[in-house]
Amino acid sequence: MAGAGRDERAWVRGAQAGSASDFEALFRAHWPRAYRAAFLVVHDAAGAEDVAQEAFLAAVRALDRFDSRRPFGPWLHRIVVNRAIDWARSRALRREVGAGQAIEGVAAEERGDPAAPLPEDVVAALASLSPDHRAVVVLRYVLEYTPGEIARMLELPRGTVNSRLRRGLDALQGAVGPPEER
Amino acid sequence: MTEAKVRDALLAARVPDELEAQRRSWAAVRGAYAEREPEPPPRQLRLLVAVAVVAALVAAALSPPGRSVGGWIRDRVAGEEGAAPALVRLPSAGRLLVVSEQGPWIVRPDGSKRLLGNYDDASFSPNALFVVATEERRVVALDLGGKVRWTVTRPTPVADARWAPSPGFHVAYREGETLRVVGGDGEGDALLAEGVAAVAPAWRPGEGRTVLAYAATDGRVHVVEADGEELWTADPGAAPEQLLWSDDAGVLLVRTAGRRHPLYGAAGRPAGALETAGGRDVLDAAFAPGTRDLAFTAYDPESGQSTIVVAGQQLQRGDGRLEDVVFSPNGRWLLSGWPEADQFLFLRLPGVSAIEATSDMRREFDPGGIGATTFPRVAEWCCR
Repeated sequence: MAGAGRDERAWVRGAQAGSASDFEALFRAHWPRAYRAAFLVVHDAAGAEDVAQEAFLAAVRALDRFDSRRPFGPWLHRIVVNRAIDWARSRALRREVGAGQAIEGVAAEERGDPAAPLPEDVVAALASLSPDHRAVVVLRYVLEYTPGEIARMLELPRGTVNSRLRRGLDALQGAVGPPEER
Repeated sequence: MTEAKVRDALLAARVPDELEAQRRSWAAVRGAYAEREPEPPPRQLRLLVAVAVVAALVAAALSPPGRSVGGWIRDRVAGEEGAAPALVRLPSAGRLLVVSEQGPWIVRPDGSKRLLGNYDDASFSPNALFVVATEERRVVALDLGGKVRWTVTRPTPVADARWAPSPGFHVAYREGETLRVVGGDGEGDALLAEGVAAVAPAWRPGEGRTVLAYAATDGRVHVVEADGEELWTADPGAAPEQLLWSDDAGVLLVRTAGRRHPLYGAAGRPAGALETAGGRDVLDAAFAPGTRDLAFTAYDPESGQSTIVVAGQQLQRGDGRLEDVVFSPNGRWLLSGWPEADQFLFLRLPGVSAIEATSDMRREFDPGGIGATTFPRVAEWCCR
């Protein structure tokens, strides 16, 4: 995990004691992965920024209550991914209601909107999955949590996590190319 | 494609605007860090078992005078002496939301008040930047100046609009016997559940999934995700009147029309109950911020007196119904409305280390009113 270990615990304790430099170190260590994870779930730069920023604001609000013996990353990532799922679901709901806008929005993405410059096939295939499936894939392969840890973070049965991982991989393989030997 | 290739591709993909997004967010987060108030010394979170123990103590503490476990800390029968003649300041940070006959009012720490409009009910958005209110068939989102941001109009009367926790993507409200959810931007209004009782839904606090509890007309309590997927359901044994989550989302209290008010832990497992002795009614309850300490007011119809209890300790007794217990955002003050005395009581915790009372609250929130006025309801006190 990014920023894990003794340094991170010291940063958390320092930030709790009022050290702005320790808090900044914590932010800079965790921002890149938090933002990447959020983006890969929501597939929208502004949405990812909102989600990641709000997660850090939540961290500020809860800082004094945070147990500095615990790793900071999993706690932050749980917020990021759950909020990213909500954000993506919320947008999907609005698309269903505003049908005209939905068509415009989807068409822009299919044309390769330069505002969303992610040409990689795997990332594009990821976007075709539901937010819940994307979240599980991101937690497993970007943030490198075990299925058991993912189950706890998303409050899901472990079997559901495994099936979503399997379905996610299948979809990526279907979209990107034939399976290779493992 | 192998798992390793998926991992490599996702880690190598270019994420747009990353550095600029980081710069903007750091400015916002740094500002929030600089403004944060130090917390009071942390109090140990009570375990679920401990809640049950507290409930038992509370039941004992509410036994008739002479057999009570804890001594009275304060006993005032007809109102607090030396009360300020008006509400000119709040004793702690945050904004107060008070609902009177005229509508919802915002009270700022300097005592300034603003009436938002002629609405029936209101609650804050997660950071108290907006208010969601109801008025007959309309759900209305307002800024704190009373300017309407969006509305949703339904065919039949609506009530009990509640904004989801930060970042506030959803607002839940009741329409008749249905529960509906609309986006925090006023879009995407959708039916969530039918057969819903006239009880305000309660969003689960915290950083996990967006989850809310609601009461059904058959008396059961349901806990569902914002998209309607049910997580668990429970039968509290009597009609629910209030649903209340602890700040850490670990406990749901169901205040009922009966004498037993069950607590549920994770996945709906029973976690004790709040029970009052001697036929007392629990009028309102609140969990202290950051803890599972429970505050409530209990009314004894026989004596006509109410008691405020916090974490099993009786703090105040007075004639009539002491209503609406609300904690300050930092948990150091408890506010209760006292209609018989026409007062707001601000009790400094723990115990009652200080008290600030304000008089003439009916007139304060109904200026220019003529005739009898109902006592204003203290809805929320938010945020730092």
